[in-house]
Amino acid sequence: MSLLRLENVTKQFGGLVAVDKVSLEIAKGEFVGIVGPNGSGKTTLFNVINGVFYPEEGRVFFDETDITRMPPYKRAPLGIARTFQIPRPFASATVRENVAVGAMFGSRGKSVNVEQSLEIADRVIERIGLTGHGRKNAGMLTPVEKKFMEIARALAMQPRLLLMDEAMAGMHPGEIDNMVKFLVEVAKQEKIAIVAMVEHIMRAVVNMAEKVIVLDHGEKIVDAPTRQALSDPRVVDVYLGKGAEEENADSSSA
Amino acid sequence: MKNRLRPYYPLLPVFAAYLVLFLVGRNVTGMWQLAATLVFYCALGQAFNIFLGMTGYVDFGYVAFLGIGTYGMATAITGLAGYPQLGLGIVAIGFILAIVMATLLSMAVGAVALRLRGAYFAIATIGVNEGFRYLIEGANLWNGSSGMIFTAQLNEILGRDLSSRIMTFWADVMVLFIAAAAAVVTLLYMKSKIGYALTALREDEDAAKVMGINVTKYKIIAFITSASFAGTVGAASWALKTPYVFPPEVFEIHYTIEAIIIVMLGGAGTMLGPVVGALIYGISKYYLSIFLPGFQLFIFALVIIFIIVMFPEGVVGVIKGKTRNTAIAPYIM
Ligand SMILES: Nc1ncnc2c1ncn2[C@@H]1O[C@H](COP(=O)(O)OP(=O)(O)OP(=O)(O)O)[C@@H](O)[C@H]1O
Ligand SMILES: [Mg+2]
Repeated sequence: MSLLRLENVTKQFGGLVAVDKVSLEIAKGEFVGIVGPNGSGKTTLFNVINGVFYPEEGRVFFDETDITRMPPYKRAPLGIARTFQIPRPFASATVRENVAVGAMFGSRGKSVNVEQSLEIADRVIERIGLTGHGRKNAGMLTPVEKKFMEIARALAMQPRLLLMDEAMAGMHPGEIDNMVKFLVEVAKQEKIAIVAMVEHIMRAVVNMAEKVIVLDHGEKIVDAPTRQALSDPRVVDVYLGKGAEEENADSSSA
Repeated sequence: MKNRLRPYYPLLPVFAAYLVLFLVGRNVTGMWQLAATLVFYCALGQAFNIFLGMTGYVDFGYVAFLGIGTYGMATAITGLAGYPQLGLGIVAIGFILAIVMATLLSMAVGAVALRLRGAYFAIATIGVNEGFRYLIEGANLWNGSSGMIFTAQLNEILGRDLSSRIMTFWADVMVLFIAAAAAVVTLLYMKSKIGYALTALREDEDAAKVMGINVTKYKIIAFITSASFAGTVGAASWALKTPYVFPPEVFEIHYTIEAIIIVMLGGAGTMLGPVVGALIYGISKYYLSIFLPGFQLFIFALVIIFIIVMFPEGVVGVIKGKTRNTAIAPYIM
């Protein structure tokens, strides 16, 4: 049984079709990488899954419940968490308070009080390696630390599905390796399905994803086990095509 | 061992300030009026902070809640004047009416306006305040534009002596207690999930939603709480202290502006901020009007713009930042 299922989901902005009839399934505890060039609809797909936007067409199921038009604040307690492409910390609150918010309003919901949430926050902060930053204002963190903080905040929600939008952008290769190792471990231990939108496709994806979904112009063009997906000529096209264009642009501007 | 009282330490400086205001007002000749004005500003700021400070939404129609509270008390006093045996019970009923009416109005306004974001909310609330005033005048509610004067009824109910003690003294003491109660509620909110939800939505409403926070619900909680405190301030400071009510006075937008200045100056979303803001604002307004009559508003505008631009987190916000990890940190919130 799948944890998340999208059926023919379409999301448009005016005339622009950002997500075009996408169907997909994510199994419980599965680690999925989503790739695609800029503007291919990855962030929009996440926004449809966690309810920031409702799709014009198609349906979204979580645990076989239709959540297509459920407001986002009701999805979080079901176990859907996310991080943002550009980090969005609650800047004036401390890191600890940010993460505690996740514990308070995530899937634990009413079962934890403020004090317990703060204790959970301390544990998650420690675990993700932000030890010592807990009492800093989240706004004072470096961009990479903010990414870590967002992941901690999402994990404190005790999610069953974690959507990570460009979670590793801006990190050094070493940091990416550590993050990937950490995520794989957490996903396994806590049975969280992780859907990560990754920039450094090879490095991050090969090491963690069981499955890769490729978007292009809002359409899902590939959905296959990682090795198979990466050798798919269409994937190579999308990436090499893009790379080649960039090279051309570079040489013509030089 | 953990000190169980420690979470309540931030109330100490607030209560100390209120106590000093009271003692100075009582014991220094000629100071009661200034002290009472400052107490009014403290209560206004403390009440408004629960909404403006904690949610970051600006309600330009805030004074309407003081206005409706004033009408609540006026309704109790005029309506029950035939039952003088109820005595102070009528004042209690007046406060209850003030709270109920402010709550109802805030629920009605909130249900519509709180669905709007930031600036749109602010604009809508200006309309609410003006609209409500014209409704009272146009539909001739509560005597419409002629207002109500109920000094005689208050005298009848409580007797001349008590009634004048209330007008000159006890009404102000009640405002002091309202301010203190608003501070306590602020602290309780800040320590609870409500406070965390409000901070989250103030900082980033969309991120808050995605994290499971029903932002509309928490905004409405803050709005109703803030509005009902405003209602009691109106009932005590405007209806009991000066037993008359005229629509143009109780819906005067400059009270809202003053409340915004007090909250921003002191530190929006902090508990001590409204007190500090009220004292700085009230005292400087008082002395400016003595030494530079006519110029005070102009000077004020400049000073306030300067402070708000330079220190957007307000006086207490700055102090909080500077005293972090020091011995006084537990007292400042
Ligand atoms: N809120 C919005 N309003 C209008 N158009 C939007 C909105 N959000 C996204 N789009 C458009 O939808 C398309 C898909 O954007 P989206 O952000 O989902 O792509 P992406 O794959 O996340 O890109 P990137 O790699 O740059 O993050 C783009 O053409 C974008 O301009
Ligand atoms: Mg994106």
